[in-house]
Amino acid sequence: MSASLAPECNEVKERYDTCFLKWYSEKYLRGNGKTDDNECASMFKEYQKCLQVALKDRKIDKLLDEAREDSKDYDTIHLKRK
Amino acid sequence: MVLTHTTNHSYTHPFPTVTLAFFLRYYSPQLNPFSAHVLSTDTIDSHVDPETGRLHTTRIHLKKSRMPSAIIKLLPASVTGGAGEKSSYVLENSIVDIKEGWMKTESRNLNFTGVLSVTESQHYSATPPDQADSSNLSSAVARPMSANTWVSTTFSYRSSLGSRKTDKAAANEENSRGRFGWISGWGAKRIQSSIESIASNKTDDQIIKSRDGMKMVLERLRSNGVVAVLRELNRREGKSVFEA
Repeated sequence: MSASLAPECNEVKERYDTCFLKWYSEKYLRGNGKTDDNECASMFKEYQKCLQVALKDRKIDKLLDEAREDSKDYDTIHLKRK
Repeated sequence: MVLTHTTNHSYTHPFPTVTLAFFLRYYSPQLNPFSAHVLSTDTIDSHVDPETGRLHTTRIHLKKSRMPSAIIKLLPASVTGGAGEKSSYVLENSIVDIKEGWMKTESRNLNFTGVLSVTESQHYSATPPDQADSSNLSSAVARPMSANTWVSTTFSYRSSLGSRKTDKAAANEENSRGRFGWISGWGAKRIQSSIESIASNKTDDQIIKSRDGMKMVLERLRSNGVVAVLRELNRREGKSVFEA
């Protein structure tokens, strides 16, 4: 089982991952995946509650913001050259 | 400058199984021995677009540094963070369209970007590249699922070491102006392209390993299916799964 970057989130992450893989293989891949009413939504919320704190503590939220900025810059340059 | 490197490959497995293997490829070293360098995997976003039915997923992987030692040797410890800091965060975005039979993925490093940005883009498809155009026209019509999946992988390498933007970012970040001063005065472009080409030369090896890893996951899925595979992995770890 793959770990979370935050060990304190491992348990909620595992519950979500298991749910997601089951939903993905048994429903989504068979064309029955729906948006918000999927059975993993509440587990995802619990997992994110834990993970978002960890991302902030480790300053990964800043890295994510930079990555979004950077890909905007990159797209601008890329499109200009075209 | 940006250096790119594209390869094509096909898996002898149907498209849905390949997408599942993509999500499972870092799940456990027992499932994929080539994933031992992946320390953690987290999902930060996962939603189905209500209009298109496409699944959008964003994950963060923490990997033991794949930056070639040749590059690390080129750089002072103030840039690499010293010998201790050898893990890098990778942001992975993916979109699956199960109806049209394609998946697009993009992975990029989140740290060390002042030295080197590596982006891996993949396009998986249930139709071979030469039939892609005609299949788009008939995508609304259900067609039999192909036994194979085609994938095109493009790596792009961009070093902005010593560039003004990087210097500014570094100065803001570390409050130590001139952190890259050692390089900006002379041959910054030359160093940048050496870094890009060293990294690019390591790609073939990396592509083969990640392909082999996917194949091992695919074989397990072919013989057992996902629920059985997960149950077996968890049983070995002494946990129960899918039980009430």
